[in-house]
Parts: sequence; structure tokens; C-alpha cells
Amino acid sequence: METTLASKTLVSPVQKAKSTSLLLKIPVFIYATVFASLCIVVGVVWDISWHMSIGRDGLFSAPHLAMYLGAVIAGTFSGYQVLQITFAGSTEQKKQSVRFWGIFYSSLGALFCIWGAFAMLTSAPFDDWWHNTYGLDVTILSPPHTVLALGMMTIQFGAIISVLALQNRQDAVDLPAELKERRQRRLQLFYVIAAGFFLTMLFVITSEYQSRHDMHRTSFYIIGGGLYTFLLSAIARSSQLRWAATTTTAVYMLILMLLGWILPLFPAEPKLGPILNHVEHFQAFEFPLLLIFPALTIDWVLHRFDQKNDWMKALLIAPLFIIVFLAVQWPFGDFLMTPYARNWVFGTETWYFGNNPDWEYRYAYAPWMVATGWNLVTGLLIAVGVSILTTRLGLYWGRWMQKVRR
Amino acid sequence: MNLQKVWITLLGLLVAVNLQAHVGSPGVVFEGKAGPYSLLVSVNPPEVIPGTAQVQIIVENGGIDHIWVKPIYWYAGDEGSPSPDEALPSEENPNQYEGLIWLMSSGTASLEITVEGSLGKGVALVPVMAASTAQKDMEPQLGWILAGLGIFLVVLMVTIIGASVSDGTLDPNQEFTRRYRRKRWVGAGISAFVLGLILYEGNEWWQSWADDYQRYMYKPYQATSTILEDEGGRVLNFAIDTTYLSYRGRSSRTSYLIPDHGKLMHMFLIREGSLDAFAHLHPQRVDTITYQVKLPPLPEGKYFVYADIVRWNGFAETIADTVEIPAEELPTRLASVGKNSLYEDPDDTYIISNPVGSQQAQLAGNNIVICGKPGTETPLPDGSTAIWEHQSSEPLVAGKLYPMTFAIQDPEGNPAELEPYMGMMGHMVVFKNDGSVYVHLHPVGNYSMASQSVLESRIKEDQTLPTLPEPLQFADSIDQLIASIQSLEEQEREEFLMEGMVHEVEDETGEHAGHSTVMFPYVFPEPGDYRIWIQMKRNGQVLNSAFDVKVEL
Repeated sequence: METTLASKTLVSPVQKAKSTSLLLKIPVFIYATVFASLCIVVGVVWDISWHMSIGRDGLFSAPHLAMYLGAVIAGTFSGYQVLQITFAGSTEQKKQSVRFWGIFYSSLGALFCIWGAFAMLTSAPFDDWWHNTYGLDVTILSPPHTVLALGMMTIQFGAIISVLALQNRQDAVDLPAELKERRQRRLQLFYVIAAGFFLTMLFVITSEYQSRHDMHRTSFYIIGGGLYTFLLSAIARSSQLRWAATTTTAVYMLILMLLGWILPLFPAEPKLGPILNHVEHFQAFEFPLLLIFPALTIDWVLHRFDQKNDWMKALLIAPLFIIVFLAVQWPFGDFLMTPYARNWVFGTETWYFGNNPDWEYRYAYAPWMVATGWNLVTGLLIAVGVSILTTRLGLYWGRWMQKVRR
Repeated sequence: MNLQKVWITLLGLLVAVNLQAHVGSPGVVFEGKAGPYSLLVSVNPPEVIPGTAQVQIIVENGGIDHIWVKPIYWYAGDEGSPSPDEALPSEENPNQYEGLIWLMSSGTASLEITVEGSLGKGVALVPVMAASTAQKDMEPQLGWILAGLGIFLVVLMVTIIGASVSDGTLDPNQEFTRRYRRKRWVGAGISAFVLGLILYEGNEWWQSWADDYQRYMYKPYQATSTILEDEGGRVLNFAIDTTYLSYRGRSSRTSYLIPDHGKLMHMFLIREGSLDAFAHLHPQRVDTITYQVKLPPLPEGKYFVYADIVRWNGFAETIADTVEIPAEELPTRLASVGKNSLYEDPDDTYIISNPVGSQQAQLAGNNIVICGKPGTETPLPDGSTAIWEHQSSEPLVAGKLYPMTFAIQDPEGNPAELEPYMGMMGHMVVFKNDGSVYVHLHPVGNYSMASQSVLESRIKEDQTLPTLPEPLQFADSIDQLIASIQSLEEQEREEFLMEGMVHEVEDETGEHAGHSTVMFPYVFPEPGDYRIWIQMKRNGQVLNSAFDVKVEL
């Protein structure tokens, strides 16, 4: 009996310390939402790969389950958080929350996650009706898919905001100084990881305009420049990491590369006809854009010209971003068309089973895909102009993100 | 989300355009052989492409191990088809096998049915025309659920944004002052306005999808029928409207028509209302959009016109129109000297019968057909009799597959010796009295034989994707083929048209048995009153008969 008691009293503090050092007093909710964000992005890329390789799926296909898992984790943890704080929360917890609809208390992050989960739920019957009415769509951006994507991205944004509030608040946690520092570093890292997942999602939903065949069009730089400068400027400003934009893009590139390398290892056979391209394994999604290079310019300008006002920063960031984006992505686009990219690393052999594999422009830019002369110049100037505005907007948004506390 | 508005708009757009090689009868029925097995197959194609076709298969002989079904598109050939899906025995009727098959693209498709069992393996090919033919509306219940969820999402997002710009930025111990309260309301107001704009744009976007769907939905050819009078007699001029090119593209050129049963066009005329005059004619091509045919002495009145055609890729469809046939001018008719270049087609026939709702013929003429009923003996104009082998006490119901069997006896009461008519033992037209259902079928089913033969040849080829032939050259070569078929003697022509067809009726010794019964498999798509015309051939003469039937729900 004594032995049992002794062992209990001996083991407990160790376990507690272990769990403290493991979680670093970061609420499980934070780990759950960041994991949910990962589930969603993996599920979406996997699902696209599934549709490119197999075609037919059911409500409970594996990629769908990954996405649902993300929604369920985010929705359940957030819902529980709202109910727990509202009906059983301490005064301290309530002070760390926003109050809404007269009675409820929640963190902002949890509210975004709940919204996202409901949007995903709404998209299901909407999408089902859509398929029965207009046919099974093989497009990423249809209205019900957009509702789904908005839901998923809001969950991912909820994860970002959840980490952000904790990072910004710097709660007085009962931890040794060393662990406190580790905790803060972990939050900073989680922030860029969550931002990287969000960026991946943003790329996925705009990928119909950001593919290999679009890299010599000006729309590629207008859309890409506008979206990425907006998100990355906001992240870089609100993160406490020095190279936040660069790290975010590294997370994005890593996750897409890993999925592009892992998925093709699995066999897949088209289950819908007509099949013009006979594939035997999962077709990889796109190789990521080399966003790490233009992202460097955002981090660099924000530090080098820290004292300048935001308009000046935007005027510096946008042209630099577009120049580096163009200098990297245009020739990389050429490279991706060469036989040197037709391997497991770059995966450009990937081809939808319903497309003709002998298409003459499978590995080439058709004349209408290449902007030249005056069109190229004006297009790039538009890209710079749009990016100036979106960078400025991103910096403004980043300032709000710096303020998020709850 | 303004779902209700969209729902109402979509309701307005709901048009059940459903014209292919039929009107209002989208199901495909197949009766034939899969190697040693006799099959009866019913396919219910999807109204929206991509979508699933429901397949029901009844195997009439042999023990079954597996039945596999796979879609084969003309465009991609056999190599472009996915691995087959297994059809499984129905829970209600274990002899019936069922499957769901995905049809992903519009165009000429087929279902390849492979039967494996005690007699070995057999394969059959059932042509299916894949086309989006209907735009559905949203059920009110779903509309309300989505609208409710949409409102909840808007309210929650407005709340979130209001909180994000106010107390969300406060440190835990910071007071929620009036300034922040005001910020919350301003934030909520602005976000509500922005969300409203987003929803408005979203609605417009949705509408543009609906419009696009409408644009690419299957639209049948349109044509204008007119009656020309000349000294050679009355001629029906059938002019296909060329505006189809703007919404169907170049591959739909009417230069690409191919013959079915040796004819480029099978035209049916049915006198509106009384349905007491019916003609099966074969207009001749004057140019690639104009067809003409000499009219038989049909009584005046308004007629439904249905023209069945098949394109080079095997896509079979029907062009529907109406025409007012004026009273015949006797002197012109008596002159009857061929002034136009149209030849008399011996396969053109017409039937005068009693009007619907009366057993007494109201039109004058010889050889008047009095319509029969299921299960009763019906006298035919040449003295022979036809009986529809169906218990008169047993009602026919919609949605059920019937092997409609007709037994013919000669005037002496012996089983009649039927001869092929345009390569088939019989032709049947099923018509719903209100004009909402029209279909032309044969003992093998209601698919086009030309489609089947196009698909069979395509399947033998590799996956090289077909390219459009030169239109005029193509039309010329088809005209030459038609002319050569037309120049054959009747016996030779029938033999030519019968080539490649499976002879279903063989006796135990394998010898060709005489035909005295004809079976047409068919599923009535909806309840109502129908008139059915059947055309067979005996003693070199086309033998016409007609039946009235009530189909119940």
C-alpha cells in the first residue's frame, strides 16, 4: 500500500512536469486548431490529387475525412471553449475573451473556427445540390466550393488568430524563465506555421491562375503579387520573428513539396471515363511557387526601412516583390517545361486523367499563354500598382493583428 | 445568401428540354445477345452530365457469376474507358441486376455489359446519348435550410468582425469603454455592408454559372416544315435552322449525318388531336440543311413532325416541329407527273385509323386500321390479325420494362410469315396522346442501330482521338452510299441492311425459324393514354397496325 502511494506521489510531479514542458502551458485548443489547419490543407491537396487521378469519390473518401477531421477538431474544441468559458469559466478566462450576443464568451480564434466549421457544414448540402443540378464539377472554384474554401480558410485563420492572441498577450505564466522563452518561441513558430498553412490554401484556391502554364502571363503576377504581398506583409508585421514572411513561404513550399513527393508513391487508377491519360499512381498537385525569394524582400524592407511610413514601405516592397517574383518564376516556368523537371522532385509529368496527354502544349507555352511587348510591360506595371495597394492594406491589417489580444 | 431569390429565378429557368432520339422518353431499352446470353437491359441516363446512369439487366438464360458494366465513349474509345463496375442482384428481384454508371462527358457513349457465368463470357454494347437535358430547381426545404445557415453565418461574421476591432484588441484587464463599444458597432455596420456586397456578387456569380449551364445544355436542332405544291404532288420541305452552329459548334454540322436503316432521316407525321393519320417517311437530302419528301395522301390538318437523325459520331437525336397540311387539290394530284427530282421511296408508308376515343373511323379511305387493345385480337387491313400478348385485365404501369409481344396470324389463322422491313422485323412508334412522349423503336430496343455500329467500329480502333472530317466531302460520300443502297433491288437492299444484325430467332437446330411474332422491349416513362403504331412486312407489303393503351402510375 505504502509502495503504491509512494510510487504515485513520486510519478505524478514528473508527469506533470513532462506535460508542462511538452505543452509549455499553451492551451490544448491552440495545438488542436493548428493541427486542424494542417488536416485541412493536407485534405484539400490530397483531394485535388484524388480528382486528378481517380476521379470518383464518395462522401467519406480519405481526403474528405482529413478535411472533416480538421473541421470537427476546430469546431469541437472551439465550441467547447465557448461553452466552458460562458458557463464554467473563471473571471480571468472571461477577461481574456470577447463577449457576444449578451451571454457568450469566446476567444476570437474560436469564433472564427466556429464560423468556418458552420460554413463547411453549409457547403455540403449546397455542393450536393449543385452536382445534381449542374453536374459533377471538375473545377476548384465553384460557388459551393467557394463556401467550403471560405470555411476552411476561416478555420485556418482562426488558428492564426488563436496563436496570435497568445503571442501578443504575453500572459504571466507560471513557468521557469527558460521554459517561458521556449513557450514564446513556440508561439512565434506556430504563428508562421499556421500562416504557412493558410498561404498554401490561398495558393490552392487560386491555382487555376497560378499554374505552370500561367507563369508567362501577366495575370499570374497581378493575382499572385496582389494576394501574396497582402498576406505576407500582414504576417511579417504581426509576427515577432525577424524573417516571418520568408519562414511562412518556406512552410508553404515544404508542405506542397512533401505532398507532391509522398502522394505519387501510392497507386491510383481512374474510375471515371473518358480516360485520355492512363495513370497508375496519384498525380501530384503543383510544385510550389518559389515564393521564398520575393518574400525575402518583404522581411528585408520592413527591417531596413523600419522608420519609414507604411506607404513608403509599400512603395518599396511591391516593386521589389514583383521584380524578384518575375526574375525567379518566369525562368522557373521555362525550367518546369523542360524534361529536367519531369521527375519525382518537380513532378511536372502530373496530368489529369481526362486530359489528352499528347496535347502539344503539355510541356510548352502556347502563344496565347505568353505576354510580350507592351502587354507585358503594362501587365507588370498593373501588378506593381495592385501590389502597392495590397501591401499597404496588408500592413494595415498587420497592425490590427499586432493588437489582437483575445 | 439570397438563396430564395436564386431559387425563384431557377424555378423560372426550369425547362425540361428532353429531346434526343425521342421526346420525353429518355430511357434506353436493349434486347439482344451478350455472347450466349439473352439480355434485356434498361438504362435510365442522367438528366445532368456528369451524372450517373441507372442500369437494370435481366439475363434470360444461363447461370450468372458476375455482370460487369463500363461506359465507353465514342470520343475516347475502349482504351479510354475506366475499369468496369459490377452490377449486383436487386434486393427485390434476384434475377435482375442493377448498377450505377458514371457518365462524365456529354456525347455519344455506350455501356459495355459483360456477362460471366455457366455459359462462358458474353459482351453486349448498349448505346447511350449523354447530354444534360434538364435544369433542376432547389427544393423549398433545402432552400430554407441553406438560407437559415446563410443568415446565421452572416450574423456570426458581423459579430466576429465587430468584436475583432473592439474588445478583441483589449488586454484582459483593459476596460471596455464607450469608445470601444462604438468601434464595435461601426465595425459590425461596415462588415454587414461589405458582406452584403459580397453576397450580391456571389449571387451574380451563381447566376452566371446557371446561365453557362443553360448555354451548354443539350439543345436540339430546330427546323421549319412547309408544304410545297407542284405538279408532281405535295412535297414536305424540312429546313434545319443553321443557328445551331452558334451554340453547338462545328462538330454538329448537319453535313455529318449518317444513314440509319439505310435512310438519312426517318420522319414521322402524326395528325394532332385525333391521331388518326400517321406517316413514316424518309426525306431526301436536297442540301445539307434541306430535306424534302413527297407527301402521301394525308388528310388536311395540323401534324406533329418528328425527324430522327444520327450524326457521324453515333449521336442520335430527334428534330421536332409541326406542320399544317392543307387539303389536297385533286387536279394537281391527278396530274401526278414527277416534276421534282424526288424519287418514290417504297419504304414510305402511312396509316389512316380511327381517332382516339372512338372506334369509328372519321376519315375516308381504304385500308383503315381500327386500333387494337392489349390482349384482344385485332383485324388488320389485309385480312390478317394481330394480338398484343398482354392480359387485358393486367394494367400496364409506367417505369416497368415490358417485352411488348405481338403475334400475327395470316387471314387463314396460321402464324404469319413476316419479312424484314428496312432491315428490321418491325418498327414501332410509341406516342402519348398529348404529344409529350414520342419514341421510335425496334425489336432490339429503342437505341439507334447506326449509333451501335459506329460505337462498335470505334471500339475496335485504338485511342487516337478522332478529328472532324471535311464536311462537304463527308456529305458527298454519304449521298453516294444512300444512292447505291437505293439502287439495290428490294431483296438485296434488305439483305444489305440486315448485315451484321443478330438473328434472335433460331430454332433448336440453329436453323432460321419463321417470324410470326415480334417483340419490342419498352418502359413507358409516365402514365397516360398512348397510341402505338407498328409496322411490319408480309407478302412484300407493309403491314400497319395500331393500338391504344392506358398506362397507369
